[in-house]
Amino acid sequence: MRALRLVSGRLLSMLVTLLAISLLTYAVFYLLPADPAQLSCGRPCTPQRLADARAFMGYDESWFRQYLDFLGGLVGGRTFGSGVAAVHCAAPCFGYSFRLNESVTQLILDRIPVTFSIALGAALLWLLIGVGAGMVSAVRRGTPVDRAAMTFSTVGVSAPSYLVGLLAILLFGFTLNMVPVSGYVPLTEDPVQWLWHLVLPWCVLALLSAAVYARLTRGQMLEVLGEDYIRTARAKGLGERRVIGWHALRNVLIPIVTVFGLDLGSLLGGAVITERVFSMSGLGALLLDAVGNIDLPLIVGVTLFSAFLIILANFLVDLLYGVLDPRATR
Amino acid sequence: MKRTNIVGAVAFAAVVTMAGCNANPKDAAGPGGSTTAVHKGGTLTILTAASDVNFDPAKSQTLATTSLGLVLRRLTTWDIEPGKPAKVVPDLATDTGRASDGGKTWTFTLKDGLKYADGTAITAADVKYGVERSFAPELSGGLSYHKSLLVGGADYKGPYAGGDLSSIDTPDPRTIVFHLKTSYGDWPWIASMPAFTPVPKAKDDPKTYAQHPVASGPYQVASYQQGVAVKLTRNPNWDAHSDPVRTGGPDQVVFQLGQDTTVQAQRLIADFGADKSAFGAGFVPPAQLVQVQQNAAAKQRLVTSDAGALAYLAINTQRGPLKDLKVRQAIEYAVDKRAFQVASGGAIGGDLATTLITPGIAGRAEYNLYPADPTGDVAKAKQLLSEAGQPSLNLTLLSQNDQQSLAQAQAVQQGLQRAGITVTIKPVDETAWTAAATGDQGDYDLTVSSWQPDFPSANGNIQPLFASNQIGGGGYNLSRYSQPEVDTLIDQATAETDPAKAQALWAQADKRILQDAPVVPLIYTKNSFLHGSNVQNFFVASFPAYPNYLKVSLKQR
Repeated sequence: MRALRLVSGRLLSMLVTLLAISLLTYAVFYLLPADPAQLSCGRPCTPQRLADARAFMGYDESWFRQYLDFLGGLVGGRTFGSGVAAVHCAAPCFGYSFRLNESVTQLILDRIPVTFSIALGAALLWLLIGVGAGMVSAVRRGTPVDRAAMTFSTVGVSAPSYLVGLLAILLFGFTLNMVPVSGYVPLTEDPVQWLWHLVLPWCVLALLSAAVYARLTRGQMLEVLGEDYIRTARAKGLGERRVIGWHALRNVLIPIVTVFGLDLGSLLGGAVITERVFSMSGLGALLLDAVGNIDLPLIVGVTLFSAFLIILANFLVDLLYGVLDPRATR
Repeated sequence: MKRTNIVGAVAFAAVVTMAGCNANPKDAAGPGGSTTAVHKGGTLTILTAASDVNFDPAKSQTLATTSLGLVLRRLTTWDIEPGKPAKVVPDLATDTGRASDGGKTWTFTLKDGLKYADGTAITAADVKYGVERSFAPELSGGLSYHKSLLVGGADYKGPYAGGDLSSIDTPDPRTIVFHLKTSYGDWPWIASMPAFTPVPKAKDDPKTYAQHPVASGPYQVASYQQGVAVKLTRNPNWDAHSDPVRTGGPDQVVFQLGQDTTVQAQRLIADFGADKSAFGAGFVPPAQLVQVQQNAAAKQRLVTSDAGALAYLAINTQRGPLKDLKVRQAIEYAVDKRAFQVASGGAIGGDLATTLITPGIAGRAEYNLYPADPTGDVAKAKQLLSEAGQPSLNLTLLSQNDQQSLAQAQAVQQGLQRAGITVTIKPVDETAWTAAATGDQGDYDLTVSSWQPDFPSANGNIQPLFASNQIGGGGYNLSRYSQPEVDTLIDQATAETDPAKAQALWAQADKRILQDAPVVPLIYTKNSFLHGSNVQNFFVASFPAYPNYLKVSLKQR
């Protein structure tokens, strides 16, 4: 019963947060000096044509009225225009991109496989490399292995992803001709090519993020290894692997899971720079394109979806706390 | 943001270094590229940063010689060849239009036997319908010059709202007649715009037409994956004999969408595998331009336009001391055009400009009303300011906040400072700049902009930038320049149906406007593009300063 209350409470707070984010996105957008109808009016644009375009796109209403229409569309769908040229956007309608002639929901659904492929593979890689390197560093503190791992992680933390991506493309793609430099092949189309095209983006993202996890794991592990219960475990005669791999790691994982949840959530919402550099059309590239073209429905839709993923990841992390540390649910 | 700036700074430093070395690609591939016999076959890849190619002619602002032109034909089109001025030529029509009623009525006849990809006949009614649907608010976004010119166009809402546009007659399946509100000599150019593409009413679904247009050109859309790729294959019913401007070389054309411009350039420099048969639709970024200079093989494949858009300093003629002609003339002399050129990438970035009509436009006359050294004539500027009673001035320059725009703004700032004009740069992002510069308020003294006409007539150089009805409201008269004499001249030139007479009037307007010094012409910007080693007939003319997709072919392998 307590768990049910906890879950329903968190779900409600997720909903409120999402509403607040969507409202804020709308409000911020309308503070900008740009007029999306002006951009869609054609050239040259007369005041009458501008008014017609604005009315068709629904931008002739107040921003709050438009926001309410947006919320209504999520539940009941929306129709823009009338007659043969009318555009219907089925529920849940996150809006309609007049520039791309497609519902925002469909555009997001089309891009999910790309972004999720990048994010999940990279996350797995950086978690394994980061946590592994952090543990080794902590256990072999002060040794050349430790120093090498930490130097490497300092480089990873401070390197800009755009630059690392380009350098990786230049070295492994153009100079060594080992991997494809751009593009995405769907998993369903050709699993080998899917993997082959993703190797470089995964490695670039993993290099950058693993560094954070290595430092975090090392710090936590050093702290935990000094705890009384570790001494007790060793005194009981448990092997070093059991002490570190089970007793210590379990406590080290709690902050790592917290950070990982947020990182993965935000990456699932779009690896903007990586997608751009590797010419992969995921959610990040979609958002970048929407911002560049002041495509309001698309900006709101992708922002909201990204926020939902982050909040969902946070929620799952909270649930995982209970597994890792049962005291968290009490 | 910080990371972007670092990369940008490196790129910018590279450009400045290159400019210092006086790098110029002209010796690489000849001015603007060249042409040779067309080999048929192969798959041409076009790399583009755009996430979408919108093939709906009503919503398109593309040039007649780029993506849309591969699939869709119009009544007239552009004949673009290296080293020659752009020429309007017949496309679907037998000629470029016959004027009557003093240029208020234009009649076109369709060539005989024209067919769509599905084998059905192209009719004058389809062209009329194509123009009509461009009026629908549902399909707004395209080039719209015709909307205010056609009788009844101002109130017409397109065919979906019911009714047709009575100012377009189709007396028989091959004849179409346009009735205009006023005489308009450049109507043959207007008829080359995307809206003048035939659209069969029975096949029109405005929601999907952008991805599935009914092809009339050498290619048809075989597959369309938004954000990923668009594949074009041959249109079996395209008649090459009726279409002298399109060569239809490759068997297939593939647009790879969403390609980062830096990676695009790197791929084309590397010239591996399928990229040998590719070209980049976007400009080569400054850092890669430097890289290309040091790579003999890539340098051979770099094509730079002779000229392009006019970059200019707009002087707000409705602001305080800038209302005084002498002050504006002082600015003409004080600006350091050489420094602006360096900030724009050096000689490869553009040549110094003195006129408003850009190279490649028929009728352009070369002149210089404010002769001075490329770095300016500071003494003359000071003298004019002194005569105007303004020995020192404080002005605001509205600039976009990207690295290159800021460097250009600083070049202007430093040039004017030498004459005692203190310039404060107000950097804003692109959308804010557009809103401020084209809005009604005009809250700036100076701004830097560039302009390439939508169609290759001097009309497109002059009217949008200097007609008084283009001030504010989204118009591009950034100098807020209003001169009844010039407005009259613009009206006369616009109405003139004799091209030679019209060109003379535009050249006259060019000079007359600069007598009032509302802008300082800075450079005719140049655009550089890269292509793979298997690509041929890739050239960039002075206008438009973009590759002519319709002529590109691949070598025999």
